[in-house]
Amino acid sequence: MKQQSIIEAEGLTKVYEDGHCALDHASFGVQPGEVFCLLGGNGAGKTTAINIFLGFLPQTEGTARINGVDVRTDPLEAKKHVAYLSDVVMLYPNFTARQNLDFFARLGGKQNLSREQYYSVLQQVGLQEKAYEQKLKGFSKGMRQKVGLAIAIIKEAPAIILDEPTSGLDPKAANEFQSMILHLRSKGRAILMSTHDIFRAKEVADTVGIMNEGKMLAIKSRKELEHEDLEKLYLNYIHGKVAA
Amino acid sequence: MEKLLRNDGVPMIKILLEKELRDIISSTKFAITFGAAAILVILSFYVGIRNYEESMREFEAARAVNANNVAALTDWRQVQHKLFRKPQPLQVLVSGVTNDIGRTTEVRPQGELTLINSRYNVDPLFAVFRFLDLTFVVIIVFSLFAILFGYDAINGEKESGTLKLILSNSVSRADVVLSKLLGSFLALVVPLLVPILVGCLMLIGFGIPMSGTEWTQLGLVIVAGLLCFGAFLMLSIMISASVTRSSASFLLSLVIWIFSVLIIPKGAVLVAAQAVDVPSLDGVEAQKRKFTLQQFDQRFQKMGEFLRADITRDETWSQRFAAFQDSLNKSFETEREEYFRKLNEDWRNKKDRQEQWAFSMARVSPTAVFQIAAMSLANTDVSLKRRYLEDLDRYQEGYAEFLRKKTGSSGGMHIVMRFSGQQGAQEEERKPLNPTELPEFTERGRTLGETLSASLADLGLLAVLNILFFVGAFIRFLRFDVR
Repeated sequence: MKQQSIIEAEGLTKVYEDGHCALDHASFGVQPGEVFCLLGGNGAGKTTAINIFLGFLPQTEGTARINGVDVRTDPLEAKKHVAYLSDVVMLYPNFTARQNLDFFARLGGKQNLSREQYYSVLQQVGLQEKAYEQKLKGFSKGMRQKVGLAIAIIKEAPAIILDEPTSGLDPKAANEFQSMILHLRSKGRAILMSTHDIFRAKEVADTVGIMNEGKMLAIKSRKELEHEDLEKLYLNYIHGKVAA
Repeated sequence: MEKLLRNDGVPMIKILLEKELRDIISSTKFAITFGAAAILVILSFYVGIRNYEESMREFEAARAVNANNVAALTDWRQVQHKLFRKPQPLQVLVSGVTNDIGRTTEVRPQGELTLINSRYNVDPLFAVFRFLDLTFVVIIVFSLFAILFGYDAINGEKESGTLKLILSNSVSRADVVLSKLLGSFLALVVPLLVPILVGCLMLIGFGIPMSGTEWTQLGLVIVAGLLCFGAFLMLSIMISASVTRSSASFLLSLVIWIFSVLIIPKGAVLVAAQAVDVPSLDGVEAQKRKFTLQQFDQRFQKMGEFLRADITRDETWSQRFAAFQDSLNKSFETEREEYFRKLNEDWRNKKDRQEQWAFSMARVSPTAVFQIAAMSLANTDVSLKRRYLEDLDRYQEGYAEFLRKKTGSSGGMHIVMRFSGQQGAQEEERKPLNPTELPEFTERGRTLGETLSASLADLGLLAVLNILFFVGAFIRFLRFDVR
């Protein structure tokens, strides 16, 4: 029996004032314990969909729900159930890793956490112990991304949205990051991740939504992709060789 | 209210405010700028205190020389009485026009009194580089300080991705922008109060005689300075919430700063000079000289007529001659005073109109508003000279009366004739004058009420600018594209 989706889009559409359609009736759902990858190139509509879920952009049509809460009608309530990580995670360079974590944990509703609890999450994401109390100004992008992921984890939200999280990471850091995503999936989190990295999508996704020019061209499960070459499939879709 | 609180009752704004305060105070930018501002504030107090002490020494020395000169004479008619403008404690911090106007007046019982020997006239080097006072620090340093912290307050967080991260939580935009505005203000203003407080302690330590009224005035100058700082901070945050890139908002803030600090005040003066034509002081003085010379000729003509008509040199002749001179003086003086008054009044009216134009236009700039307010509060504004000359005019009346009592004459141009064998003349010469008999000059100054009413509009304007930019930043952020 299919579970209810934690992250849910129904006919989600965004048309800008200049008439440009950034998202065209996209529908999909992410269930607990599922990693859903939005796969597409620049301008495919992946980030537009994410921005709508986070209330940064109002949709023109359709509905976006997180944990059953409509993000348009009750954005603050909806955001209680989602953690977010973007590709640009500079965080606060004058704060230490723990101080950054503390600030965002408190924003996410976690008050009075002990130093050990913060350290435990930082250890979970693989940050070196000596970096816990170091200011972020000297951190590499990979290290900052780990702190960002720790921020997403500590909120303990049922939904996690990741916008191009491995972009700019070296292979080792990207691999470590991937392991963390899989770990979160095993904890029952519904993960929506945008990426243009076909290899990463195939490795981590339970479901892949292929997007191009705002349209959701296809939604393929891991099982469906087992016998297919995702790269070839993706290129066929975006070149219109396969009917959407 | 419900939206402002988290589930567990902790106000979201408190968490954001704490972050804001900690983020600013822990930054290298803060350490450097605060350090520089603190040094300059303390230095401005120190330089001001030293200048005041130096001015007081010069004032006391000049007074002593004047008293000695008087004591060396035996006839009040020979006295060349000089008054010296007493330095005021608040000029330590807000020098205003105090160094531009003269400090010495040669007091005559009749005629127009003028101020000569300004500080800049005596020390031209200071005229070139000006003094480092608190107004300079507020106008140049505090306003730049505000811009440096405000220009990327919003779009900088967007560029670093933290704004999206914050707003991906159950946080309202109102909370975010309120914490930004209040947090930035508190994080920067409270530390700036520390060197100001140190400066105030220095005033006490160096024994600068400040009355309760002057402390109140100083407090209001500081409030005006902080309001000026606040206006720039709110303005730059508003710009940061209106422009996508922080490099663009920095450039825009800098351009506004240049206009506000350098171009608008000077431009306002130039435009006002074009709009209202005021005759030059040299021109007015030339007219006065011409009139005086004409009177001089007439006077000698009339004296010649008297001497030719009254040829009896009896015992009462000198009294008749003195009485004639007195009546002549009185009539010429009245005529001259009336002419000078008209000239001065005409010049003053035009000058007032020009100043009004210049100040009204300059008030577009928060720094100009602060400068006008601070000078009014410290009583070193452009009306200082006029107020002092009014005090001198009042003193002149008393001085003329004093001389009349001492010499029997109202002063003015006199030819003193002595006849040998006059009894008591030698006795009179031997008796030196007592300088303490001279009437005491007191500067009336402004009452606290008068000072407040002169500066209230500008203080209010600074507060309004703060509110306007605060509301502007708030509204701009509610519409800000965080993507």
